[in-house]
Amino acid sequence: MKKLLIIALSVFALTAQADFLDGPHNWNNGSSDSFKSAIKAAETGYKANLAVDMAWRDTGKMIKEAKKLHAAGKTAAAVALANKAHTQTVNATAQTPLAMSAGPLF
Amino acid sequence: MKKLITAVVSLGLMVGATSAIADMESDRKALVGHFKSILPNVEFADYTNGVYAVDEGSREQFEEILDGIPPYEDAVEKGGAEYLKYGLNKCAALADPAAARVKHPYFDEKSQQVVTLEGEIKRCYNEQTGKKLGSSKGKIARISAWISDQAAGQKINVIVESAGAKAAYAKGKATFYAKRGQFNMSCADCHVYNASKKARADILSPALGHTTHIPMYRAKWSGMGTLHRRYGGCYKNMRAKPLKAQTETYRNMEFFHQAMSNGLEITDARYRK
Repeated sequence: MKKLLIIALSVFALTAQADFLDGPHNWNNGSSDSFKSAIKAAETGYKANLAVDMAWRDTGKMIKEAKKLHAAGKTAAAVALANKAHTQTVNATAQTPLAMSAGPLF
Repeated sequence: MKKLITAVVSLGLMVGATSAIADMESDRKALVGHFKSILPNVEFADYTNGVYAVDEGSREQFEEILDGIPPYEDAVEKGGAEYLKYGLNKCAALADPAAARVKHPYFDEKSQQVVTLEGEIKRCYNEQTGKKLGSSKGKIARISAWISDQAAGQKINVIVESAGAKAAYAKGKATFYAKRGQFNMSCADCHVYNASKKARADILSPALGHTTHIPMYRAKWSGMGTLHRRYGGCYKNMRAKPLKAQTETYRNMEFFHQAMSNGLEITDARYRK
């Protein structure tokens, strides 16, 4: 009974503590610096994807659009879009090694 | 001893060359076997008709179009006139148009590159006129279609023999089967594994025979286009960034793609939906 109580209290304490913790830290909080780092990551990834002919169709457009938004002062939206573009480049990079040795399934 | 070494080396080279051919040939046979298993009622020769070989309704429309005046007829005729106008008959590689269609694509040992028919037309056009020619539609598609018409009835016969050719073929094969773009799909996902099935309102054409009627007239384009133009469209559909026509990646893929249709007749029935 004592053991059960200790376990229950421990779980409760950990849960309560977790509730007070912030989520994963978001560096991209809409500041100009965060835009710079987000767009740089997207552009670097996109360039690498282009070099191996594995870029996605809309990534370039998203990067351009993000820059336009940033120039118009809509930094939070620009950061969000740059992050989306970066995610596309990460996914395209993940496709690349499989693409190099792809073959039929029959 | 010297004779023995020579014999062993020669045998090794012969085995190497044979295995290169065997790779392509076994790939082709496996692909034909796959289509036999999913489309048992389609005759091998009928794959020249693409989607019209697998869908009766579309076949009737196709035959009606061919029975009338096909919408590409004037364009192909114009291509013939342009072939002469721009002096393409003066280039050795294109002097015999029927032979040129059958020979291309081939692997050029000197440049270690795949040479396509459109690539050769571009090179010759530049040599004769001093101007550059586009790669996807318009003049190049018309000229290439006219050249291909001269070889109608002859069979596709792509040769993959040397180590360089084998490497280019392998790269082209990987490109064809690679999943890409936001939809994470390959050319094969539609045109091999799901050929004859519907994708929204369209029926997916089998990869086997794709290259027998190129350049094609597409109703969607309201005009003619090269195989590489079509590759670009497929890339876009998969939400992948299309490459420029006649880039090495597309040329290698064409090398593989045409080799898979070895033995099928080149056709002048180039209408597609």
